[in-house]
Amino acid sequence: MSQSASAHPELDPRKALPFPKAVLPVLRNPQLRKNVAHAIDVIQAKRARLVAEKTDWQALREAASAIRTHALDNLGAYLEQFEERCTAAGGTVHWAAEADEARRIILDILREEKATEVIKIKTMTSAEIQLNPYLEANGVAPFETDLAEIILQLGELEPSHIVVPALHVNRSQVREIFARRMGLKELSDDPKELTNAARAFLRQKFLSIPTAISGANFLIAETGAVSVVESEGNGRMCLTLPRAMITIAGIEKVLPRFQDLEVMLQLLARSATGERMNPYTSLWTGVTHGDGPERFHVILLDNGRSSILNKSKERQTLKCIRCAACMNTCPVYRQTGGHAYGSVYPGPIGAILTPQLMQMQHAQSLPFASSLCGACYEVCPVKINIPEVLLELRGQVVNQERKQKLRFFDPMYIGLRIANWLFAEAWRFHAAQWCGRIGLKLFTAKDGWIHSLPSVGGKWTQTRDLRGLPKESFHEWWSKRAPNKEAQ
Amino acid sequence: MSAFVSSRQHILDNIRSATEGVSAGPDRAAAYAALSRSYTHQGQLRPKACVKLIIERLREYDAEVTEATPAELPAAIQARLAASGRHSFVVPPGVPDEWLAAGVDWKIDRGLATAEIEEAEGVLTACSCAVADSGTIVLHHSESEGRRVLSLLPDWHLIVLRASQVVETLPEYFNRFQEPPELITWISGPSATADIEMTRIKGVHGPRFLNVILVHDESASTKESEPKPAKTRSAKLR
Repeated sequence: MSQSASAHPELDPRKALPFPKAVLPVLRNPQLRKNVAHAIDVIQAKRARLVAEKTDWQALREAASAIRTHALDNLGAYLEQFEERCTAAGGTVHWAAEADEARRIILDILREEKATEVIKIKTMTSAEIQLNPYLEANGVAPFETDLAEIILQLGELEPSHIVVPALHVNRSQVREIFARRMGLKELSDDPKELTNAARAFLRQKFLSIPTAISGANFLIAETGAVSVVESEGNGRMCLTLPRAMITIAGIEKVLPRFQDLEVMLQLLARSATGERMNPYTSLWTGVTHGDGPERFHVILLDNGRSSILNKSKERQTLKCIRCAACMNTCPVYRQTGGHAYGSVYPGPIGAILTPQLMQMQHAQSLPFASSLCGACYEVCPVKINIPEVLLELRGQVVNQERKQKLRFFDPMYIGLRIANWLFAEAWRFHAAQWCGRIGLKLFTAKDGWIHSLPSVGGKWTQTRDLRGLPKESFHEWWSKRAPNKEAQ
Repeated sequence: MSAFVSSRQHILDNIRSATEGVSAGPDRAAAYAALSRSYTHQGQLRPKACVKLIIERLREYDAEVTEATPAELPAAIQARLAASGRHSFVVPPGVPDEWLAAGVDWKIDRGLATAEIEEAEGVLTACSCAVADSGTIVLHHSESEGRRVLSLLPDWHLIVLRASQVVETLPEYFNRFQEPPELITWISGPSATADIEMTRIKGVHGPRFLNVILVHDESASTKESEPKPAKTRSAKLR
């Protein structure tokens, strides 16, 4: 059971196990944990060095936060402006309220293009709507072109990070996947050789498949332009060579003006990969005659986003620019990797985004998968106060649970109701203390510690000792002492 | 089609009701103008130091950089082509004739087929700007910079960068090109990946070799009087 769960983690929040259960196979997989910790240590060190050299880092964060907040505050107007400008530049804009609608729109376009194959730039939004299985089921073969995505696609693995999705796979595992799926028996585990194998494998696909799908890092309302940030050049291939191009973007990706990129591009690469700038950033505006695709479609995806927008504390979740700095710094993610989150969006941002995209009907365990240490807030380039949102969502989850009939018989809730009653009156509290002292005496060892408790209490003493109750409470000690003090 | 219209309306209605209390409405432009932007806009380096910095940054990315005066440029191009050991090159139609060094095979892109570009061993282009702080070269895909595919398929890319095109910070770039170009590629080093164990590997799909000739034209024109590239296609602003 644990073996199969670790090989094929479930990333559909509707079906995934709660975090404390999903995490068990990971915790028993030392290789995976080693791979994750290594990758994160490398990125973290690079990020820290490059952020330190930027003297205006906090000012950039302030500006980015202000721009993103302003864009969300006026989202309707900016989306309409984007639609108008993109259309005027030769693009076609579609709106999809749900994942299902986005998938159908994409399939309709692909059918119109008579496409049986499609090349793809890494896009988390496509993973969010589970596009690949849908395309396969409908007779279109999707080819991922980002190196990490090829590793995952050929290895039939799931992403565990939003920027480096295959960080949980090491070089010998990559070698095994490539050797098997590309028929390269002689392949070594040298990353350079593995990269070259991927280059050769994809070259023909780039040159022959005339339809591509991308995500978007930014939509520019002012001009109707779309921007994609990448490293390998697979993005440039997909944006340039095909005849038709489809971009799927969450509605929150819009920036008011072209110039806003001067802030975002300075923050994004440094936060995401610890580079001053990623190797390639592309920007295009609709269709340009004689350069690139002749037909260009943008799908603006809601899929739960607009329902986050009307909540004052939670709406900041939508400022996210998907840099993954929060997961790289998170002490929980470092131990677990991404799969335990049961979503394509793991880590702290996933812990707040996923349950909200699910309208708080699924993934309710995620807001609790945090120590609330605040490191994610500190590194976030757009200043999302993730701990604040985590607490807000925890409150909502508890409120949901309280309303459930079943909770009436839940030992924890019975305990809390009893505690509520006991603590309401001083005499009840004192009586409870007295009873506790007598009752716990049985379990208290000579050294004054309780090493083992029966029943529910055992859950605590399984992993830690509990100090026995003292002979006298502070209150009792104080009331004995107080008259003497007054007499002095 | 009706489903499409109603989804658009549905999403926009949801957004409108969600942002009712916070939206600036018709005062959007004023609200945007009031946003705090206290980050560094203008760098502190003198032009010479700025050029030194970009050379340093480009070399950190494993780009090969050589320097030349405007008069030396054709010879410098010829030397770099010869040193590359490559023979067939593509070039956009707008580059000056004197760049097309003798002794190698040139194909000028007047609608070359993809296969012809793919066959070329290298490409020579101009550029629009460079940002020293991040070692970024910016292409606007004008007549002298070429179509996007031209600087993508060949494995070896030689860029002619004039010192007067170098700015220190990214905001300076945006200040210089206030009219947004229709197509842009920001290039920071050769194609790379770190997807396998975070080991940086140069060259995945884009050109594996990035080469720059830095032309010292500072005396000819200062930063401020730099003319904009004539044929950059601008996105239409209305």
